[in-house]
Amino acid sequence: MDYATSFYFTATEIGLSLCGLALLLVAGWQGNKSARMVTIISVAALFGAAIFSIGLFDRATGEVAGRAFGDLYRADAFGSFAKVLIYVAAAAVLIVTPRFFERIDAYRAEYPVLMLFNAVGMGMMVSATDLMTLYIGLEMSSLSSYVLASFLRNDERSSEAGLKYFVLGALASGIILYGVSLVYGFTGSTNYAGIRAAFEASFSTGALFGVVFVLAGLAFKISAVPFHMWTPDVYEGAPTPVTAFFASAPKVAAMGMLLRMAMDPFGGEADAWRQIVIFAALASIVVGALGAIGQQNLKRLLAYSSINNVGFIMIGLAAATPGGVAGALTYLAIYVAMTIGSFTALLMLRAPDGTNLETFADISGLSTKRPALAWSLLALMFSLAGIPPLFGFWGKFVVFQAAVQADLVALAAIGIAASVIGAFYYLKFIKVMFFDEPTREVEATSPVSHWVVLGICVAIMSPLGYLLTVPLGEWTAQAAASFVAAM
Amino acid sequence: MIGIEHYIVVSAILFVLGVLGIFLNRKNIIVILMAIELILLSVNLQLVAFSAFLGDLVGQVFAMFVLTVAAGEAAVGLAILVIYFRGRGTIAVDDVDRLKG
Amino acid sequence: MVDLEQYLPILIFLFVAAALSALFVFLPMGVSRLTGAHKPDAEKLSEYECGFPAFEDPRSQFDVKFYLVAISFLLFDLEASFLFPWAVSLEYTGWTGWSAMVIFLGILAVGLAYEWKMGALDWQ
Repeated sequence: MDYATSFYFTATEIGLSLCGLALLLVAGWQGNKSARMVTIISVAALFGAAIFSIGLFDRATGEVAGRAFGDLYRADAFGSFAKVLIYVAAAAVLIVTPRFFERIDAYRAEYPVLMLFNAVGMGMMVSATDLMTLYIGLEMSSLSSYVLASFLRNDERSSEAGLKYFVLGALASGIILYGVSLVYGFTGSTNYAGIRAAFEASFSTGALFGVVFVLAGLAFKISAVPFHMWTPDVYEGAPTPVTAFFASAPKVAAMGMLLRMAMDPFGGEADAWRQIVIFAALASIVVGALGAIGQQNLKRLLAYSSINNVGFIMIGLAAATPGGVAGALTYLAIYVAMTIGSFTALLMLRAPDGTNLETFADISGLSTKRPALAWSLLALMFSLAGIPPLFGFWGKFVVFQAAVQADLVALAAIGIAASVIGAFYYLKFIKVMFFDEPTREVEATSPVSHWVVLGICVAIMSPLGYLLTVPLGEWTAQAAASFVAAM
Repeated sequence: MIGIEHYIVVSAILFVLGVLGIFLNRKNIIVILMAIELILLSVNLQLVAFSAFLGDLVGQVFAMFVLTVAAGEAAVGLAILVIYFRGRGTIAVDDVDRLKG
Repeated sequence: MVDLEQYLPILIFLFVAAALSALFVFLPMGVSRLTGAHKPDAEKLSEYECGFPAFEDPRSQFDVKFYLVAISFLLFDLEASFLFPWAVSLEYTGWTGWSAMVIFLGILAVGLAYEWKMGALDWQ
């Protein structure tokens, strides 16, 4: 085993871990006055890791094929693509975070450190090619997420959100682990390649249990129906920047992990899991769309919207073809930009005294007071609904195209019909923001950093985003091809 | 003679008991933490049994990792429980209702 | 396309497991309910403390410093369990294994240093 190669392929994780450890000591010795500096260094480290991952994107060729540490970890095009999304999303969320906590003087230097360790875990999740690495990465990400959710220690809603997230997240890990132990027992291997080879030789009932349990646990992590119950509560209770984070980076990580598991070790048995994925996809789309109707809290509404979007991503997975995986990755990239944009807009909505506004009543008549913000929010919401000139439509288009090419015409048809239900509740935004009388005073200005993040997200969502379709298509196709290479 | 299937059955029963413990429990959140530990221990039992049965050490190494991660999980869970208790003064399951749903 | 038959064993398995665990939960309750006399009153339900009247509510708060020390102990104790398999296999893993463990202990030491600095170890 060549250690230099292994260290090179895992350099992002190693670098972020070392950075996190050093910053932890800084946070311990310098206290909260270092919080700004620690945040800036963390954002820089995350961007550095993203740039390094871009460099790794097409390096994983030849005999080694990105394998590190005896195939416990693989740095291929798929992993690099997902990692760039994860690191950029985490950095973007971290940029808009401090202002929210500083108003109530609750920002601490440990917050960015937790984000860094979370990013390390998420990177391991998408690159793991062994069940053991996968489990460690998953727990590293989950444990820091539980702490982030309850970060506002004196806020009852935040601590309750943390508690709920912890209980259900731990249950999900337990279910995944139970499935993993069954898979190990019936295949005799924890390595993805070994599992795949064993499944091709014989696929026993016990192994099928294992696959079903693993998929059920993963559905929990990506909040797909029927394991979505925790999402609205946790999203509402957690502090808004943390919610923005939960809806973006960990979703990419969990979805990447699911795609790799389904296509690599379980890839030969696509018929065994396709029905489960189809059911979860359709149920998520319908429940997400119906649940959002009647929500007054915007964070809850965005929670249901994320359930709905996960359903569309899973349609790409149900196709179980490289085209489907590429479609799912395209959708994920667009989804991350939409989500971060929406939550940044939400963070910019503050009353003059600095309290955050988060209900429909608070944004009534927003177009007269903050027209730029109102139009941005409108563009993001329409993009989430997939209304054509906006870029969100392209994501839906590619997953449906993949589903049709995989002969899942019925699935695609039902999905398109259900996305019309979804469009309904986004229309409420037009009515409330543009036609209702203003009721609340809204803070008149927002800092430049928020405008920059929001501006980039809105620019991607605008029809300008279609300039990205060609490169995005190439990258995702190359990322999806890394599974074919592994086969 | 005790075969591998006995271990699988015991661990399946422990697993389902743990899951039921989370959903049927109406009293105390500490009980939920214990149920989570029960799930993880059922997995550990199964991993070690498979490892012995297959003559493969990987399962035992995995069990070590599960054990240590379970300790970290319990620590984080208890810490969150403590801040929750400080804010609310109760850890009864039925009182976890500030967020509707 | 739909081949639900192969999921049948899962269903049976889950039902059997659920039934067995439900049995374990409810059978002792049912048996004690049927065989014993069930007449609770205030005296029986009150807590028993060596024949004395109870001094205080048994669910009183205890100091959080016990909890902090217990958690630290639990964590470092279990992390140390990695040392045993490492120690007996050192002759096979050699310097690679040695350096890996030094890195691991270094990370633990950083955690300990942070904990120390934040005052989690002060018994005051």
